[in-house]
Amino acid sequence: MNLPLLLGALAPAAFVLGWWASRRVGARRSGTAVSELSSDYFRGLNYLLNEEQDKAIEVFLKLAEYNRDTVETHLALGNLFRRRGEVDRAIRLHQHLVSRPGLSDSMKTVALLELGEDYMRAGLLDRAEALFTDLVVMNAHAPSALRHLISIYQHERDWHKAIEHARRLEVMTGEEETPMIAQFYCELADRSRQHGARAEARDYLQQAFDCQPDCVRAFMLTGRLQAEDDHHIEAVQAYEAAINADIAFTPEILPPLLNSYARSQQMERAEVFLREMLSRYHGISPVLALTHLYRQRDGERAAVDFLTMQLRQRPSVRGLMALIDATMDKIEGEVRENFLILRDLTKKLLEGQAMYRCSRCGFGAKAHHWQCPSCKSWSTIRPIHGVASE
Amino acid sequence: MRLIVIFILVIFIAAGVVLGALNADMVSYDLAFAQMRLPKGAALLSAMLIGWVLGGLTAWLGVSSERRRAQRELLRNAKNPPANP
Repeated sequence: MNLPLLLGALAPAAFVLGWWASRRVGARRSGTAVSELSSDYFRGLNYLLNEEQDKAIEVFLKLAEYNRDTVETHLALGNLFRRRGEVDRAIRLHQHLVSRPGLSDSMKTVALLELGEDYMRAGLLDRAEALFTDLVVMNAHAPSALRHLISIYQHERDWHKAIEHARRLEVMTGEEETPMIAQFYCELADRSRQHGARAEARDYLQQAFDCQPDCVRAFMLTGRLQAEDDHHIEAVQAYEAAINADIAFTPEILPPLLNSYARSQQMERAEVFLREMLSRYHGISPVLALTHLYRQRDGERAAVDFLTMQLRQRPSVRGLMALIDATMDKIEGEVRENFLILRDLTKKLLEGQAMYRCSRCGFGAKAHHWQCPSCKSWSTIRPIHGVASE
Repeated sequence: MRLIVIFILVIFIAAGVVLGALNADMVSYDLAFAQMRLPKGAALLSAMLIGWVLGGLTAWLGVSSERRRAQRELLRNAKNPPANP
C-alpha cells in the first residue's frame, strides 16, 4: 500500500475517532451522563415510593458504583439499609463516608448525623450520644442532633438532661417545647413521689406548672399527692382543675376524684360537678359515676332508672354491662342464665377492645400512657369515644 | 478499567516507536505553497493527529452551538412565558 493512500485512509478514521471522543467528553460535561444518572435516581426514588425497597437498593447500589463521588447516593443507601433493619451495613457505609478524605465539612456532618441515627437504631446509645453531642458543639445540624439527644435521654429516663437539652432546642429553634418539658418535670415529680420525697415532688410540679399552666398531668399528680397526704379537699380541687384543663382525660381522673369526694364527704358537690359534666362530656364515665352515687344514696331502683334513661341517650357497652350487673340480683332461673351469658359476652367484648388511641400515630392501647410507646410523643394518647369504649 | 487503558496506551506507543524505526526513510511533500521532507512515520502520525484534532474541533463546535441555541431559547421563554392553554 503506498503512503498517500494509507494517509488518506487513516486521516478520516482519526477524524471520526476525534469527533466521537469530543462528543463523549462534551456530553459528560453538559450533563447527558448526569441525566442518565438522574433517570436512575428517579427510578430508585419511584421504587422507594412504591415501597419496593429491594429494587430501590439495587438501583442505588448501581448508582454508587457508577459514580463513587456521589455522597448523596451513599447517604440514601445508608438510610435505606437502616430503614430495612440492616443497621450494620448502614453503619459501615456511613463510617466509610465519614472517613473518606476530601469530603466537604457539610457532607461529613450529614454523614455523622446519619451515623448517629444508625447507632441509635442499633441500640448503641452511648456512641450515638457522643456523636450528637459533638454535632451540637460544632453547631452542625444542631436542632436535629438536640432532638436525638432528647430522645436518648428520654429512653434513659435522664429527665434533667432531657430538660436541659429541650431548653437549648427551644432557644435554638424558637419553637415552644414547654409542654414536653412540663411532662419531664411530671416524670421527675412522680419519681420523687414514689421515693417519698414529697417536697421535692411539689417543687417539680410547680416547675411543670411554670412551663404549662394547664398541664393535666401536673394537676393529677398534685391531686394524688394531696390525697396521699389525706388532704382530700385540695385533692378534689386539683382533680376538678385537671378535668377543666382537658375534659378528654375524664375516665382517668374520675375514679380518684370520686374517692376524694367520698373521703372529704362532699357528695353534694360531687353530684353537682358530675351533673354539670353530663352536658359537657359525652362519654359514659360520668353516667357510671352518678349511677354509683345514686345507688349509695337513693338505692338500686333510682340508680337503674337513671342508668336506663342515660343509656337511651348515649348507648355504651360499658353502660350495658353496668345495667346487667345492677339487674342480676332481681332475676332468677333461665333468665338469669341468659343474663350471665350476656355479661360474659360483653366482658369479652370489652377485653379485646383498645380503650385509648394516640391522636398522632393511631397506636391503640388498653391502658393509658403519657408517652406514646409507638411514636414517643407526649400526651397524645386519649380515650376512644364509641359504643364499645368510652 | 484504568489499568486496561494504560496497557493499551503502552502497546500503541511501542507500536509507534517500532513503526517509526522501520519507516525512517524520508518522503517529500509539495503543498503548492511549501515543500517539505519528513520521515514516513512522522507523516503518518501527523496525518492522524491532524485528523483527530479536526474531528474533535468539529464535534466541539457542533455541541457548543447546540447548547448556545438551547440557552437562547430558555432565556426567550423565561422573558416571555408561553400563555396557559
